[in-house]
Amino acid sequence: MQFSSSLLENAVNEFARLPGIGKKTALRLVLHLLKQDTNDVSQFSEVIAKMRSEIKFCQRCFNVADGDICSICANSMRRQEMICVVENIRDVIAIESTQQYSGTYHVLGGVISPLDGIGPDQLNIESLANRVQKERTEELIFALNPTIQGDTTIYYIQKKLAAASGEQSQNIRITTIARGIAFGGELEYADEMTLARSLQNRLPVENYVSR
Amino acid sequence: MLRLYSISLVQFKNYQNRSIQFNERIVGISGPNGIGKTNLLDAIHYLCFTKSYFTRIDGNNISQGYDGFRLEGQFEVWDKPEKAICILRETGKKEFSVNDQLYEKFSRHIGHYPCVIIAPDDIQIITGGSEERRRFMDTLLSQLDAVYLQQLINYNKVLQQRNSLLRSFADTGSKDLSLLSVLDEQLVKPGQGIFERRKEFLIAFLPRAKQFYIEIAKSTSRRPASSTAENINLFYTSELLQASFAELLNLNQSKDIMLMRTTSGVHKDELEFTLNEQPFKNMASQGQRKSLLFALKLAEMEALKNEKGFAPILMLDDVFEKLDEERIVNLLQTVCVENDGQVFITDTSSERLVQHLTPLKKPFQLIDLTN
Ligand SMILES: Nc1ncnc2c1ncn2[C@@H]1O[C@H](COP(=O)(O)OP(=O)(O)OP(=O)(O)O)[C@@H](O)[C@H]1O
Ligand SMILES: [Mg+2]
Ligand SMILES: [Zn+2]
Repeated sequence: MQFSSSLLENAVNEFARLPGIGKKTALRLVLHLLKQDTNDVSQFSEVIAKMRSEIKFCQRCFNVADGDICSICANSMRRQEMICVVENIRDVIAIESTQQYSGTYHVLGGVISPLDGIGPDQLNIESLANRVQKERTEELIFALNPTIQGDTTIYYIQKKLAAASGEQSQNIRITTIARGIAFGGELEYADEMTLARSLQNRLPVENYVSR
Repeated sequence: MLRLYSISLVQFKNYQNRSIQFNERIVGISGPNGIGKTNLLDAIHYLCFTKSYFTRIDGNNISQGYDGFRLEGQFEVWDKPEKAICILRETGKKEFSVNDQLYEKFSRHIGHYPCVIIAPDDIQIITGGSEERRRFMDTLLSQLDAVYLQQLINYNKVLQQRNSLLRSFADTGSKDLSLLSVLDEQLVKPGQGIFERRKEFLIAFLPRAKQFYIEIAKSTSRRPASSTAENINLFYTSELLQASFAELLNLNQSKDIMLMRTTSGVHKDELEFTLNEQPFKNMASQGQRKSLLFALKLAEMEALKNEKGFAPILMLDDVFEKLDEERIVNLLQTVCVENDGQVFITDTSSERLVQHLTPLKKPFQLIDLTN
């Protein structure tokens, strides 16, 4: 692609770095912006810059947040004793859009996969264990992708919780959302209807872990 | 009953665009070296297994200078027509459909069109490393049993993770034994299952293979009766015959950590063949090796037929090479006359094909790829 302006070329190259955007699409987007009012484009870039620099991660659940605590954790209408454990923020968005879940979340940031160099220490697992202990959680719902690594992660966390169990004999209910929702695909691709249904059909992993 | 009535190949190996009809149950395919006989069989293999018999890399099968390939086969299963399509897209993405229904998991297709191939390199099953024999067992059992295939896939995935974890212990110096024990549990379930299935299956299968060998050896031997008493034996050996997999993993834990890999499990299983109590590959002549290979493949064919209720597709690539007349006649009798499944046979010479197929008194079709 030949450009008569390096400003244009730089902008196209930046857009083309985004996932799923090729050079052609990048050029189309940039030419579109070129037709817009200067102020509108400034606002566009400010919103993006501000999003990146000011966004925070919830100290409790690691979801995206405007402050220290995300709006889901801060919402007193939500059932604080229930935690849905997910891989990433996209899963939170997918489950929230079903409007079927009224508890809180915990974003792991991935699943355990030694093959990819991801061990428990790279994930928000320690913080989950602490949280369960401190908040006297009653139910953990695992909404991880039904893969070998997803299973590894669930069993590992279960083991950790069981090991951390002290004298208190309070039971936590541990469930996974029904298998098959994301058959061959990713959780984010499961449509809202199947996701909503699977939230109602949770399967106990191993009914209780006492702690 | 299973039949393949036609195949079309687009940008597959040396075929830019070609459709071939199969009108008879017995199909002879001829043409000089390099014309594409083996490639045609591999295309059929693709439609049965969603992959090549020869390479793990799908892209290697694209005609040079092109960006993707497409294979389509018209099958018939129990009198119902089925259209199977395999497409490798320009992006490298592979799609497989039967009657326009895309598979989400290719493993679901395995066993749908059961198939047995005998190719020149298969002699490796007899003479090569133990992984060749495990691959033979796994290919057969996967077609018989979808649960087995799933366990095998899971086993291999967890095994990779476990080996990576063991390596990371050495790299980082910190040992998360609780993660290791999670992976052990995940490995034990499919591992023990694979073992039980192999054991149960081989108890019946190995004696059948031995019988086929004796039949082949008998009818082809011109030696005096006394020396035909060559005594062959086939054994399944696995550490899991001595102890449970869970016990083995426990027992070998420190060894595994030291060697940074999983030293016990069904990935160490072996099929052992002996001739007069000596290792078969050291003792056997080339003809005997080939006889044992055919015996295993014929037993495989029989096992598939018993399970599915119809004979698998059989592909014989270049089997006439280095076989004496009597063996050829005998083999063709078994696979074309005593078997009612579809058979594809390749040879460089169409005359030789005609010469061998005519006496069978069964209708056959000849395809000369030179035309
Ligand atoms: N990806 C590819 N693109 C184009 N041509 C290919 C590709 N892969 C293989 N070939 C060609 O296919 C031919 C080999 O075909 P094949 O192995 O089917 O021959 P054959 O008829 O079985 O020969 P033989 O009698 O020697 O076994 C070779 O000429 C090779 O160059
Ligand atoms: Mg060949
Ligand atoms: Zn939060």
